[in-house]
Amino acid sequence: MISRIICERVLQKAVSTGADYAEIFAENTVDHVINMIDSRVDSVNDSVIAGAGIRVFKGLRSVMATTTDTSEAGLLRCAEKAAEALGQGTAEISITLHERLFGDIHPVRVVPSSVSNREKVNLLKEGYFAAKEYNDAIRQVTGTLLDVDHNILIATSEGIYAQDRQIRTRMMINAVAEINGETQTGGCRPGRRMGLEMFETIHPKDVGIHAARQAVTMAGAGYCPAGVMPVAIGNGFGGVIFHEACGHSLEATSVAYGRSQFAGKLGQQIANPKVTAIDDGTIANDWGSINFDDEGTPSRRNVLIENGILKSYMIDKLGSRRMGMAPTGNARRQSYSYTTTSRMTNTFIAEGNDDNDEIIRSIEYGLYAKEMGGGSVNPTTGEFNFAVNEGYIIRKGEICEPVRGASLVGKGSEVLMNIDRVGKGLECGQGMCGSSSGSIPTNVGQPLIRVSSITVGGR
Amino acid sequence: MDFQAFKQAVIEEAKALGIAAYELYYQAEESTSISAFKHETNKFTSSAEGGVCFRCLHNGHMGYASTQELSAEQAAALVRRAVDNADVLESDEPEFLGEGGKTYQELDVVPYALPDTQQLTDCVLKAQDAVYAADNQVTDGGTSQAFSETYRIAIVNSNGLDLSYENSLAGVMLSAVVTDGTEKADSYKFKVGSFDKLDLGELANKAVTSAKSKLGAEVAPTGAYPVVFSPDAMADLLATYVSVFSSESAQKGLSRLGDKEGQVIASPAVTLVDDPFHKDSPMPIAFDAEGSPTSRKNIIENGVLKTLLYNLKTASVAGKETTGNAFKGSYASKVSIAPFTFYLAAGEISEEELLRQAGNGVYINSLGGLHAGANVISGDFSLQSAGFMIENGVKTTAVKSFTVAGNFYDLLGQIRTVASNLELSDAAGMMNFGSPSVLVDGLSIAGK
Repeated sequence: MISRIICERVLQKAVSTGADYAEIFAENTVDHVINMIDSRVDSVNDSVIAGAGIRVFKGLRSVMATTTDTSEAGLLRCAEKAAEALGQGTAEISITLHERLFGDIHPVRVVPSSVSNREKVNLLKEGYFAAKEYNDAIRQVTGTLLDVDHNILIATSEGIYAQDRQIRTRMMINAVAEINGETQTGGCRPGRRMGLEMFETIHPKDVGIHAARQAVTMAGAGYCPAGVMPVAIGNGFGGVIFHEACGHSLEATSVAYGRSQFAGKLGQQIANPKVTAIDDGTIANDWGSINFDDEGTPSRRNVLIENGILKSYMIDKLGSRRMGMAPTGNARRQSYSYTTTSRMTNTFIAEGNDDNDEIIRSIEYGLYAKEMGGGSVNPTTGEFNFAVNEGYIIRKGEICEPVRGASLVGKGSEVLMNIDRVGKGLECGQGMCGSSSGSIPTNVGQPLIRVSSITVGGR
Repeated sequence: MDFQAFKQAVIEEAKALGIAAYELYYQAEESTSISAFKHETNKFTSSAEGGVCFRCLHNGHMGYASTQELSAEQAAALVRRAVDNADVLESDEPEFLGEGGKTYQELDVVPYALPDTQQLTDCVLKAQDAVYAADNQVTDGGTSQAFSETYRIAIVNSNGLDLSYENSLAGVMLSAVVTDGTEKADSYKFKVGSFDKLDLGELANKAVTSAKSKLGAEVAPTGAYPVVFSPDAMADLLATYVSVFSSESAQKGLSRLGDKEGQVIASPAVTLVDDPFHKDSPMPIAFDAEGSPTSRKNIIENGVLKTLLYNLKTASVAGKETTGNAFKGSYASKVSIAPFTFYLAAGEISEEELLRQAGNGVYINSLGGLHAGANVISGDFSLQSAGFMIENGVKTTAVKSFTVAGNFYDLLGQIRTVASNLELSDAAGMMNFGSPSVLVDGLSIAGK
């Protein structure tokens, strides 16, 4: 991409008005998407995203300028714009860059861009038709095969000059089933930081069957009852409860600005002692993994909560200045046109000591939220919500009939205390998380857990 | 190279490959934004972004490819990639490019001068001061942001279409965090338009009043009550379920309204309008993403579905004319369908009268998790809500952390009354939503 020498000149320009930190984030990304609907390949689209964002800091002030012109002249103009916006002054630091090789712990065997559209279509069709032909109740199926080749370069006034190539692959199958005039949906959306070899372990057929089975189950389901009750939340994407109820409130984005219910609570009990939660960007080939973050800080395993005690926040460089704490390798951005902030990577509740069968048996009347959908949170108040995509009533310790249309709402600080059983079988689910620095791939995960009491929105 | 030079390079490449039907869609945005926190500016962003989407007909299929890198090398690659992508398509529905030579509505837009960096800075600092001055319960945490933005589109195709559009706008966002010592609540307000007419004090007061009203909120009791949605909450619900009115969704079996044109689908109180030229739209436009003329029309009129929203392809499938609702989410997206300013028309009575009609129920002015708790295909929703109890026809206790559940298709018929207080949600794009307050029967509330 851009040579070290050019980066040095551009950074020197960026700090020319007295910035105490400057950074270039340049990218060249190819997104490739194949969509199917009505049993046919309906669209194939690919797009090249290319440009650079230059940031400068002085104390707690930050400036970012972006450009699609990544020639030396274009970058210098962009750096000058950033320097001018910072104010008047003279250079106080000089720039020397050293190439840094972080290594890549996410090997890719089948680079998607080296595979023809036909071969990709065949993979998608395997998943698509497994859903379409699941049974007669399936009315419609949509399928997407997505691959992203995200090449980034980061150069900072601290001397880092590093590049990374992030390849991600994802298949998404959504099925619509109709039983007795009632339409419901089911989905399955696995993704990895991998090439197409992902489908050697995650079989497209299973993706399609999973989506169809869920749609058919839910189309035959009655409405979920409303009220406050105990809820057992399944593994995998169930981890969205921690992501919303706590994760966002531990990001410097909210903590550094006093907009978090958990600000100033390091070392305090904020969750039930059964809860240990971790953010780990170093899991090989996982969806939310990174070698180093978008500010050049190496990714690492951060224990956020240990036995209910708050141990760490997730911090980017600007947040670190406000908080007086070191960056944690969580600075992320969707693309060069978004301003980096602290974000999650692969965030999960660790396995506990409770027995999964006992967790279900312990509930006299409640909900088993087998699969969760997305959610959202207001970190200032801690109020969050998330949807139940596949739920069942638990009666006298037994999982009974499926129920549809449920969501769970609550306040993070209260729900964390109410997680009173943590079982076995940790798994992660893949999502796209939206925040001020755009939409980024994140994993959520957990084993089976029990929340002793939470509001179930049904009817 | 610039767009004009890139365009020529692409057209030459297309001709060389024997492609007769093609289109280039160019979009560029330049924006400046300044934020302030605790009375100091803390963030300045200046961005320039743009890209070109090329699409072409190849063996009857429409191939797409796009790029942000305007170079000779990309010009050639773009055409080849679009052809490659068309090669594996299987749909047998006919594809169209827009025709040139159409007449377009003249827009009645009064341009205003965009604020410069100094004016943006003054605005955010004043906004911070106004929020802190509004009430002594205001605490740190609120930010202010002011921005200016210029947006350009150009569509050029082999059918003689050659259109361009430019729009500039400015706006301010401010958020307020308040505390009563035990808990915090927040609210934000957003206003787009000329800074000359901006009343920051009023905007700050609105945000602070709204945040304060949430302090001490209780959890609403579980049950079935009449529900009044505020203009913002109802507009959010409309925005979430907008694809229900898309002929594309309907033709694919993803909306239930496919065979309902001309039929009653909503209560007689409901008239739903799509207006590309609305006077309060921040971005009125006379042509859609295919270059077809846009038009104002009723989608639902007194409960009857008059028309779905169409583009060239879905109109051809249905044997109709396009309604001028072709839409691209970004320049790179495939052409789909969306409305412009989409709103529920005002009724006759005031919100106060509407509350009296509700008697005892729940007033909802905030909905959360719409991307998750609302299923656009089944219509089912169960959404995090906040607002007030309605007792004896007036708003009383603040309530939060409850859900409202129902089904959007049913809700259209459950709307008892629509008030007269139509408001558009503040947005900075081409797609906007609006509604007055509405009274709905038959929804379920889950709380304590």
